Amino acid sequence: MEFEPSAEHRMIRDTVREFCESEIRPIAQEIEDDHRFPEEVFAALADLDVMGIPVSEAYGGLGGDQLMYALVTEELGRVSGGIGLSYAAHTSLGAKPIEAFGTEAQKEEWLRPLAEGDGIGAWALTEPGSGSDASGMETTAEYDPDADEYVLNGTKQFITNANVANSVLVKAVTDPDAGYDGISTFIVDPDDDGFEVVTVWEKMGLNCSPTCEIAFDDLRLPADRLLGEEGDGWEQTMSTLDGGRISIAALSVGLAQGAYEAAKEYAGEREQFGKPIAEFDAIRDKIVHMYRQIERARLLTHKAATRYDAGEPVTKASALAKLDASEAAREVAEEAVQTLGGYGYTTDFAPQRFYRDAKLMEIGEGTSEIQHVVLGRELGL
Amino acid sequence: MKVLVTVKEVGEADDDFEIEGTDIASSDLEYDLNEWDDYAIEAAVQLAEAGIAEEVVAVTIGPERAEETIRMALAKGADRAVRVWDDAFEGTFADVSSKVDVFEAVVDEEEPELVLSGVQAADTAFGATGVALAERIGFDHAAVVNDLDLDADAGVANVHRELEGGIEELTEVDLPAVLTVQTGLNEPRYASLRGIRQAQRKEIAATDLADLGLTPADVESTLTLTEMYEPESDSDAELIEGDAGEAAGRLAEVLREKGVGA
Ligand SMILES: Cc1cc2nc3c(=O)[nH]c(=O)nc-3n(C[C@H](O)[C@H](O)[C@H](O)COP(=O)(O)OP(=O)(O)OC[C@H]3O[C@@H](n4cnc5c(N)ncnc54)[C@H](O)[C@@H]3O)c2cc1C
Repeated sequence: MEFEPSAEHRMIRDTVREFCESEIRPIAQEIEDDHRFPEEVFAALADLDVMGIPVSEAYGGLGGDQLMYALVTEELGRVSGGIGLSYAAHTSLGAKPIEAFGTEAQKEEWLRPLAEGDGIGAWALTEPGSGSDASGMETTAEYDPDADEYVLNGTKQFITNANVANSVLVKAVTDPDAGYDGISTFIVDPDDDGFEVVTVWEKMGLNCSPTCEIAFDDLRLPADRLLGEEGDGWEQTMSTLDGGRISIAALSVGLAQGAYEAAKEYAGEREQFGKPIAEFDAIRDKIVHMYRQIERARLLTHKAATRYDAGEPVTKASALAKLDASEAAREVAEEAVQTLGGYGYTTDFAPQRFYRDAKLMEIGEGTSEIQHVVLGRELGL
Repeated sequence: MKVLVTVKEVGEADDDFEIEGTDIASSDLEYDLNEWDDYAIEAAVQLAEAGIAEEVVAVTIGPERAEETIRMALAKGADRAVRVWDDAFEGTFADVSSKVDVFEAVVDEEEPELVLSGVQAADTAFGATGVALAERIGFDHAAVVNDLDLDADAGVANVHRELEGGIEELTEVDLPAVLTVQTGLNEPRYASLRGIRQAQRKEIAATDLADLGLTPADVESTLTLTEMYEPESDSDAELIEGDAGEAAGRLAEVLREKGVGA
């Protein structure tokens, strides 16, 4: 059992950390306040080869593994949850499925720009009427044999990056009578006729990461935009989320780490009753508890990533890591706010931002309730 | 041309640290590439990118632990590295001349046309290795270089040197030369992740004194560390408070007391 990342992994983590400290931390609150997707940061991340870490070199990626990707996602989360979320959605949801299920031609055309960082990826499963229960999906793709095209109609809700994306992988019903086996995946270009960004949501946090409602109105897709086979959409979704949940777990660990560091530093400096507040048992115990939660969540995350890299089944490990890490992130961030007292409640200090950002981790890519459902099933209950 | 860059791993102490014997406890040290060497590497890599340098070789004197730091030079674009270490260095405090003994032997072997060195190391801060090496190997040199324009055809490095009091000297140095590099020469890049991955496969040649035709006696240091302690600091900082007018008034008073503008 190996608990320390390799020298190469550490070097990559440390370099990304250095980049995050100098280039992202100083603007992290500002981009939140301005609700601005920081294109320049993503361009710089592309120059560093961060945008295609777990994608094969054959398609312009780095050829790294899931653990490397998790380490880097954690570093992004440690300074900006929003950048981390857009990054994780781009990689796990936008790019990886094309690598896993695409044809050579699709990988050249759609994966390469994402892996090289020339474009941003997105993935659209959720709908206004269908969240946790994807079987209620109403978006349809009807095949038109005369034109050899699919005609896409429907609305997708809460789609990360949709308004800045090069491609959106859209789940749609191709066979209404086949239930889960009637769902297929399509590569949609936001420039396609009939694609509309209806809303960019105002959110409790993560506002530098755009979350969009998008609509398709008779959007015509050439047949070569079908990803995999007709009816593969649900199976693909399950395997995509197995990987994606590891990145949300890693992002959560990063948020928790950022909040913990802010609290620990403050507690060592802030004096009340004549001594640093860290010397009061109540505050010290809080910080020790934060550390304990983070360490646990990180171990579960690295375990899930390591299993993924070994090609072992990860449904259980990634659901557990995501469940634990997202809860840890919210609790640690909340306690960080508490540690800073009134200052923690102001936007001049980072903990409130981690607190707002952390809450989503218990909702996106399957709510915590759904992780319990998944885990219960995995445990044979 | 071949460019040799001397690099050093330096330990930076945490805010709170313990002293163990004649050194800071290693658990309180974070090891990193010496800041000025980072500028030297960047300069060398830029020369390679401009097609002026054919090969960039990084050389260090350091234990195995230093490989992680040296690999950063490789990740940023150096082609290969030489790491010199020997039992003879264990537990000793190498002075400038013993380092120069080693680098001289490496220069003999590598035959670079340009040697780039940081102006100083962040830990010992002798600020002497590069210049002393130039003297020893008979290269021209310029110290504290913060601007470099290399004319390879003419065999000349046009440099700016930072002198005291904000004065700069513009000068020409004939190649082969040693330049010691100061802050401001360039903005070092982040290593790209691809560079880091490729660096894992680049050569770091572990070299001992015998490999260089040297003996422990050749590199014997004339310096020994006898004691390490934290100096007593008697700071009498005064924090000036109040609004701008009051603060400026008090500041003027202090300056006048100290004899400024009398
Ligand atoms: C910022 C943000 C980014 C997002 N990015 C994307 C994206 O890029 N792509 C995408 O497709 N989606 C995205 N989503 C959508 C997200 O995945 C869904 O919001 C999530 O899956 C929950 O669906 P819902 O909102 O419809 O809630 P619902 O499914 O309506 O759930 C409401 C509540 O009921 C509970 N519940 C539902 N079913 C059960 C059950 N069987 N047992 C117990 N409790 C249950 C839930 O846990 C929850 O507490 C994003 C959402 C947000 C907020």
